[in-house]
Amino acid sequence: MRASHAVLLLVAVLAAARAHAQDRAPVVIEGGKGKSYRIAVQRFADNSTPKSDDRISRFRDALQDALEFSGLFQRIPDGAFLGPLTTDSVDDGAPIACPDWTQIGADALLQGEIARDANGFQVAFRVWDTARCRDLMRRRYSQKATANPEEVARRVADDVVEAFLGVRGVSSTEIAFVSDRTGNKEIYVMEADGSGVRKATANRSINNFPNWSPDGQAIAYTSYRQGNKPLIFLSSRGALRPGRLLATDGRSQYRAVFDPTGERLAVVLSNGGSSEIVSVTTAGKDLRKLTSSSAIEVSPSYSPDGNRIVFVSDRTGAPQLYIMDANGGAAQRLTFNGAYNTNPAWSPDGLWIAYETRVDGQFDIWLIDPEGKVNVPLVTNERSDEAPAWAPNSRHVVFSSTRRGRADLYMIDRDGSNLRRLTGDAGNNTAPSWGPFPR
Amino acid sequence: MTGASDGQHDLRQREFRRFVGWSACAHLAVLGLAVISPFSGTRIDPSQVIAVDLVSLPASALAPSQAPAPPAPKKAAPPPEEKVVPAQPEPPKPKEIVLPKNPEREPSKPKPKPKEATPKPQPEKDLEDLLADMRKEAGETEPAPTQAPAEQATAAAPSGVTGATVAVSPEVLAWIRKAKVHVRGVWVVPPGFRREALETHVTVELDASGAVIGEPEITQRSGNPWYDESVVRGITKASPLPPPPHAGEWDFVFLPNED
Repeated sequence: MRASHAVLLLVAVLAAARAHAQDRAPVVIEGGKGKSYRIAVQRFADNSTPKSDDRISRFRDALQDALEFSGLFQRIPDGAFLGPLTTDSVDDGAPIACPDWTQIGADALLQGEIARDANGFQVAFRVWDTARCRDLMRRRYSQKATANPEEVARRVADDVVEAFLGVRGVSSTEIAFVSDRTGNKEIYVMEADGSGVRKATANRSINNFPNWSPDGQAIAYTSYRQGNKPLIFLSSRGALRPGRLLATDGRSQYRAVFDPTGERLAVVLSNGGSSEIVSVTTAGKDLRKLTSSSAIEVSPSYSPDGNRIVFVSDRTGAPQLYIMDANGGAAQRLTFNGAYNTNPAWSPDGLWIAYETRVDGQFDIWLIDPEGKVNVPLVTNERSDEAPAWAPNSRHVVFSSTRRGRADLYMIDRDGSNLRRLTGDAGNNTAPSWGPFPR
Repeated sequence: MTGASDGQHDLRQREFRRFVGWSACAHLAVLGLAVISPFSGTRIDPSQVIAVDLVSLPASALAPSQAPAPPAPKKAAPPPEEKVVPAQPEPPKPKEIVLPKNPEREPSKPKPKPKEATPKPQPEKDLEDLLADMRKEAGETEPAPTQAPAEQATAAAPSGVTGATVAVSPEVLAWIRKAKVHVRGVWVVPPGFRREALETHVTVELDASGAVIGEPEITQRSGNPWYDESVVRGITKASPLPPPPHAGEWDFVFLPNED
């Protein structure tokens, strides 16, 4: 009797469980086919005095371009719109008819209004997830009256990227680089998408290794503009004093990089046989030695917390990556693969160090984590891929490649996708440094 | 009734209760394994979890021993054959074998492969068969077979414990196939997430027509809220799904990688 009860119970439990399992077998979805969101960008309402159709159109074109530059969005042509082309209001309670947007395949809707007058350039926008009919982000900010529509549009686009990805887009950032397009190696600055190239130096000497200050207001670079030795100079549009950084002591000054506070720089100095890394203030004072071996020690790059420096040393006979405390001291070797590893760049999120590794006389770009546990290729090519630099959102890397013959700058996503060429009009374009988010 | 006999009776009752209790526990444990195990044990090693959550890796990171170059779409650059200016006319290099010179370091347990981070709700072979069928379905417009082969019509049983397998009816299996193809077709995986080891579980209430009722419920988060959002957005956008065998709650697991 009891045994049969137990058996019955067992059967009942088993049966229930089987029925449950049958009902709840999960549907496993591996990799959605969609690679980007389709976004409907309304024409922003114009509350300016006076109104300007031209401004609104330029703003919208730049906004759509910047959204597509992110790789996250794909625009929906105006002709497909079922809902209104122009935003009526971004105020609370302003309803939208989500089916109008989902029916045309829009995953997202961007609405907004701009108002430009003597006091400034105001913009307000609202981003909708149309499938859930929910607004993901609503922002309103004020730019200076002289801001151009393209500049403001790119900032809006970068925020919209954040609404979907959790990190800002980088269309409103700048990249500094070296180009010999005029016959001399000069420093240039361009928008992150490769547009708007302009000169930052014009001294007809040799200039190299630009490096942005964390506030984006200055660039440190190496130049032969005074004499026949390379010296470090600052170019500044902010508080820093432009001109030569350090007094000359007969040594070459090869390269300088800002620390994350922007208060000090690590500088590579050389007397010929070996080189060392020192740190100085932005005024060129308080020089502290960070390395002191007889080896060649170059290419410093700070961790984003400013506590560590990754650099290159040939102390074992071949250049390899090492990590030391930002105040100097003992260094830990990081790379053990390959006979020639150089040009490290620490990602702003701290997770990766991009570097060059030499393969048959050419360079590839690899990523290694700061603990040295994961070491993987990012860019490989029969030609050289060199000088990696991180975007401020840590999602892209810009680098120089000779894959088309001349050196040009390319960007690639951290996961190895979305390779894009940024330069290509003229000259060799090398040594990129990606500037910070605008403030 | 004496106290002693009461005592005997109590004892027997206790024994019986204990027996039933243990039996229930044992069965629950077994069934728990059967039902839950596909979702557990996927991220056991804390050190690996950290690595997984912190980084987004190139494809090759996931299989470092093969170390192929990440599949960078060469849109901007012509393929090597088209190159006109051979500044450095060297033959293509065998990239894979050049860098990993140090065998101790290179395959340094980098990351769990996506497969390893993937729940295995089915025995491996069945999963592959399912995927093969899915691909076939995606390519052809042929309706799913109404009768699944016998060995496919099982799921999620930790064989070896009791030898029992939990049956999935051919009807449910056929719907799962259709639902996969449908949801996969509309779900957008944002760039950058595709190579990360992310896994989100959601439970969705479906009516008989396949329409999603209310908000999908996230039952296991990936650790990346924006990835989780993309999942909820995807399943919402997928409404209506193919009509399920019955209305009610259905579980979905979303992985960013195809393989």
